[in-house]
Order: sequence, then C-alpha cells, then structure tokens
Amino acid sequence: METGAATFHNIGTTTDWVVMVIYFLAVMLFGSYFGRYTKTTSDFFFGGRRFSWWLITMSIVATGVGSHSFVKYSAKGFQHGISSTMTYLNDWFFVPFFMFGWLPILVYSRVRSIPEYFEKRFSPSARFLATILLLFYMIGYIGIGFLTLGKAVIPMLPKAFVLFGVTFPVTLMGAIIVIAIITGVYITFGGQTAVIFTDLLQGFILLFAGFALFFIGISYVGGFDSFWSLLPTEWKLPLADFNKPPGFNFVGIFWQDAIAGSIGFLFMNQGLIMRFLACKNVNEGRKAAAVNILFILPLSAIVVGNAGWIGKAISVASPSVVSPDTSPDQIFVVVANIVASPGIFGFIMAALTAALMSTVDTLINATAAIFINDVYRPINRYLNSEGRGRIISDKEELVAARWASVAITSLGVVAVLAFKNFPTVYEAHGYFHSTLTPPLVVAIFFGVFWKRFSPAGVITTFVGGVALMIIGARYPAFFIAPFDHGIEMNPSRPYSYIRALYNTIACIGVGLLVTLTRDIQNRLIVQWKQRASSKIEMTILSILTSLLLFLVIIGTGGLGSDTLFTVLIVIVVPLLTVYFVDYKESEATKGLIASSIFEAKFMFKGSEPNDEVGEKMEVVFKIKDQDDSKIYFSKKDMKRMSAKLGDLVYLCDKRKWLGGLKSIHSVYGEPHNEDGIVYINQSQSETGLFSDGYILVAEKEM
Amino acid sequence: MEYFSHSWLPFMYQYGLGGLLFIAGIIITIRSGSLNLNKTSHWRWFWTLIFGLAWYMSLHASLTLAALGSVNFAFILMGSVIIVSIFGALQVINRKRIK
Repeated sequence: METGAATFHNIGTTTDWVVMVIYFLAVMLFGSYFGRYTKTTSDFFFGGRRFSWWLITMSIVATGVGSHSFVKYSAKGFQHGISSTMTYLNDWFFVPFFMFGWLPILVYSRVRSIPEYFEKRFSPSARFLATILLLFYMIGYIGIGFLTLGKAVIPMLPKAFVLFGVTFPVTLMGAIIVIAIITGVYITFGGQTAVIFTDLLQGFILLFAGFALFFIGISYVGGFDSFWSLLPTEWKLPLADFNKPPGFNFVGIFWQDAIAGSIGFLFMNQGLIMRFLACKNVNEGRKAAAVNILFILPLSAIVVGNAGWIGKAISVASPSVVSPDTSPDQIFVVVANIVASPGIFGFIMAALTAALMSTVDTLINATAAIFINDVYRPINRYLNSEGRGRIISDKEELVAARWASVAITSLGVVAVLAFKNFPTVYEAHGYFHSTLTPPLVVAIFFGVFWKRFSPAGVITTFVGGVALMIIGARYPAFFIAPFDHGIEMNPSRPYSYIRALYNTIACIGVGLLVTLTRDIQNRLIVQWKQRASSKIEMTILSILTSLLLFLVIIGTGGLGSDTLFTVLIVIVVPLLTVYFVDYKESEATKGLIASSIFEAKFMFKGSEPNDEVGEKMEVVFKIKDQDDSKIYFSKKDMKRMSAKLGDLVYLCDKRKWLGGLKSIHSVYGEPHNEDGIVYINQSQSETGLFSDGYILVAEKEM
Repeated sequence: MEYFSHSWLPFMYQYGLGGLLFIAGIIITIRSGSLNLNKTSHWRWFWTLIFGLAWYMSLHASLTLAALGSVNFAFILMGSVIIVSIFGALQVINRKRIK
C-alpha cells in the first residue's frame, strides 16, 4: 500500500458474495469434469498434445490476463492513464524467434521442460543451474500471483471477524493462505486438461466481464466523449513519459517488459510453454501465439486497465465519489463497486479472482512439471544407476506430481513475503522480471541461435551473470547508472525497471566473451590436462571459485573486491567447465538449434519428414486386435492424404467445438482396401476418448 | 514539441530498437532455414509477422495522434478495422491459391 493512500474494507453486498460462491463452484465443477481425462503424467502436464489453436488461445487469455492482472494495470491506469497498456502491446518483437526458433525446437526435441533442453544442448550441470534459476522464477511468479489475489479480495473482506467469541483480524497474508489452500486443492486433483478447460471458460467470461465494466463505466461518466474529455492529455497517451517518474517510465519498462519480460514470458514461462506444447502440432502453436498477441492482448489491455481510467475520470469529475488518494491497488474493486449494481459487481469480482487463480494454477502445474522432470526423475535415474533405486511407475509419478503441487503452493505463499512491501503489485512484478529473467533468457537465446555457444558459455552466463547482477544491485550508482537513460535513482528501490538493461547486457557480455574466447580456453585446458596433478588443481580451483561466489553473494568486501571476485569468476568458470564437461558440438546441437530444424523434425519422426500437402479425410473407426501403435487406412485414403507408410498421423473427433479433446497421434500402418475406415486398437480408442458412431477426421502430420 | 518525451520519443525508441530486434529475428530465422520462404505456409507466416509489426505501429501512432487531439478517435477505430479486414481477406485469398 502506498503511504497515505485511502484503503477500503467490506465493499460489496450479500448478493455479490452469493454470486461469487456460485461462480466458483460452477468453475470448479467444470474443471473437475475435465480432470477425469487426466490419466498419465503427460495428460497432467501437457493435456496429451492434442488441442486446437483456438482453444489454447482462449485458455491463454485467462492465464495472461490473470498474471498481468486487473489489479496492477488498473492501478497504473489510475496513476498514469492509458499508458498502462504499454506492456500488453510490446510483445511482437520477439515473435519470429519464438515461432521459428524456440517453439519447433521444444516440440520436435520432445523436451518436457526448459532445463531438460539445457541438458540435451549443453550438459547435466547446465540443467542443474537452469532448474535452480527456473524454480526461483516460477515460485516468485506464483508469489506475485498470490499477492495480487490477496490484494484483490481484501477490500471485499471485513477488517476482522468473530468466531466462537474470538476476534480474528483479516490480514493480507491470512487471506493469501486461504486462497492458496483452495487453489492448491483444485490444481492437485485437476491437472493440465482441467486447467486448460477451466481457463477456456474463464477466458470468455473475463473478456465479457472486463468489457461490461468498461461500457458500464463509460455510461456512468456520461458517455465516451465525456470520458475522453475528462482525461488529461498525459492520461490519454499510449506510452509513458520517456524517463520519469522512477516508478513508471517508458524506457525502464521497455527494457523490463518489452525485452526481458516478453522473452521471459514467451521463452521461459513453463506454464505458457506447456500450453503451446498442448497444441496438436507446431503450426497450431504458432496460430495460438499469433492470434493471442495480435488481437487478444490489445483487447485484454482494455479489459484490465479500464477500471483505472474510469476511476481517474470519476476522480476528476467527482473527487468525493473516487478520491484521488485511493490506494492504486484497490481502484479496480472501488470502481467496479461504484459503477456496477449488486450481483454484477459480484460477477466481475468472481471473474477477476477466478482468473487470477487460473494463472496461479497454471504456474503451480508448470512448476510441478519442472520438479518431476528435472529433480524427481534425475534423482531416480541416479539412484537406479547406483543400484539403490527402482523403476517408478507412471501412477507413482502422478502422485509425486500432486504432492509437488502442494509443496510448490506453500513455497509460493512464502515468496509473497519478498514482494508484499512494494508500493504496488506492478512494481513488485517489474523488479522481479528485471532481476530473474536475464540469465536464462540470454542462455536460451544464445543456445537456440548460436551453434558455438557451449557449456562454458552457458554456465558462465548463469554464474558470472548472476554475480554481475548481484554487484549491480549492490552498487547501482556505479553499475546501473551508466545505463539509466536519465531516470532518477530512487534510493529505496533503485532502478526497478532499467536494471533489466544492465542485467541483460551483463549476461550477454559474459556469454559473448566466453564464447568468442573458446579456442583459447580449449588450448589452455589441453595443456593443463597434461599435468599429472591437473584434476586435484582443478578441484581446488572449483572450491575457491565457489568461495568467491559466496563472498560476492554475502557482500563482505567493498566495490573493488566484489568487482575483482566477479571478474575472477568470469575468467575461471569457463576453464573449469571446459575441463570437467565432455562436450561434442556437432552431437549436442543436432536438432536443438534453429539451423537444424530439419534434423529436429527427422529425429521427431524417426525418418525423413513428408511435407507434401494432402487432404484431410473423414473416416469411421473400427476396433481391431493389434499390439502395435499404428493405425490403418485404405490405400486410396492414404493417397488422398499424401501419406506414406510410417508417416505421422493425427486422428480427431470431427466436432470442431471439442477443440481436439478427443484425438490421438499415431503412425500409418500397412494400408487395406476399405475406404473411409480406419482400424485402431482398444487402447487408442480409450486414449482418444472416441465415441462409437461419431465421424473422425484424419490428417497427415509429417 | 509539447509532450514529445511522452509521445513520439518513446514511440521512436520502441519501434526503432524493437524494429531492429524484429528484423534481426526475421533475418536470423530465414538464414538458419527455420523460416523457409520457399514453403507457402511459411511465406504466409512471414507476411503475418510483418503485418503484426505494422499493426502495432499503427495502433500506437493512432492512439498518440488521438491523445494529442490530431484526429478523430472514431477514425482510428475505423482504420484499425479496415487494416484487420484487409489482412483477413489476404489470408483467405492466399488459402484459395494454395488449393
């Protein structure tokens, strides 16, 4: 809360609460219905890679709008006007990299998480460091989500309530804990399919509720012309002032959001990536991303920010109705309560809180995926290799995934403590993105688009980049000020946004330096390996480097010593990596960099991809007793699909509104002569959720 | 110019620097072969990407002009709808050609 800002409690009526409870029950029942389709960990995390682009697009609305939140954009809309939309309208710059670099690589390499990519592309140690950074990022994101949820519901709750004669004060953390329990229960038993379908429903409702509030609000202030004329010119401009004030300026937010945030959201937000991986193929993922960013985000910008703009207009016309001193993080609830009638207000609040829960659900599910894939499975593999483990069944993994969801929810609540003292959620989120995304973002980018980028480069980017970021945060006037574009430094929270520029340049600089000097490192290590005591020397050097990093983290020295330690880390870490990590560039980059997409497709299919364009065929399925995973079409049907034996095929229920829920991926088997018939086995019929009598549509994938 | 640091300066910075990154993205993906303009579907994606940049530039420029009182707001909405319609129509025409 901002000092001196007016805060509210007990907003809303009994009717509003009744509407909210009904809404929540309906949404949870809707999600639980689709939760029954979760049978394996693949379903739990990826929804079985089967959905159409439109379904994923709409389900991303609830995730995106929820995470960027009504609360924080309304707050900035109230404080600064239409420039609150900036962060929704600057995501297009990196879309080519995403659509034709990262997305196809993720799909074709069959990686289940971002750290797994780091192991395949670099080394297990790179995966380990990426896992740590990503878990920090995801849990921090969950913390931001919980904080926003808490701030959204607090104005509706009383200051305290009495139970059995004891008075319990309603606190932000108390509200967050209750919300976390509800969220955790839902995601633990639902899984990704439930989340996708709940988000689909909520995507539509959110857009409807947001626009309803906009039109009701415009009507309240006397129509659009009246609304527009009430706003001062600064409030109408779509971009903020270039470099002031420190708490909301264009250039800082450009680097924090358009650069670090956009890449972070598209490239390393495991929750969003899992949505794209749930699409039936790469092209559907591209469509989902394009439609979402081009059309849904501008609409969402109006949906999430309009309460702040209307609040500003009302505060200009009638300061007694909406005080200019109203706490920015509460303006959404305050405006919704003023312009909407009882019941409608409850519906809007239900849509808001349910959307925020969707975001948190998605993040918890995604973080659990990282835990299972990058912690649980590698540990089991290690134990098995040592002869102390056993084969873990998919059912056991599913149970572990659900327990992981519970633990992650708890850690998310703890993470709120790190952000709750920021004046607004917006600034907390900005600081968070500026600080945590650059090392991973730079590593992913170089990894995908630069063949020469090696384990030495990625590990030094992680370790040296983080060390440089730490000393930047400790001495902002020395390290960040040269990049500040004239932004005034706020001593209590120095350079919340523009630090992203320094952090990104630091990480890029480290990655470039190490990669460009790779041959020198290799020569040095070849010579060093000839020494009999090289292993002992390198082990001692590793311990000393860890000690230096520890000293940089705790900051016992001054500017000079911290800088010296960091420089030493950047010099020594690549040498240690080259010494200890066995890396063969041609093997490690095969199918894992943008220039080897064809190889990636080859590896995905297991043979030469068939890109010949064919027709989609309507067929009826028949069950045949067979043990293999192939499906069988007639010769004529295969010819019309331009398909060959061994090509990949997607078989889906014809009803488009199901969005691919009832579908399977398979391989073409030996053709028969019965046109319009496809033979599948019982297991495929169950996996595809196919119903007797319904027509299926078959299309060749590659 | 009044409001320059609040209007056209951030606009130029965003689309100057952002535009360079965007073009770099297009060039890198084409040179790496992942965006293959010999494929009809990729050619359509290429134009979709270009349209996206133009769409956002026009959106921000129009809103800035409206805020500064240079054009009627309704005109902007109309212009946006026309741009989207033209894009949609081009997509449909392209699809027919493929068939």
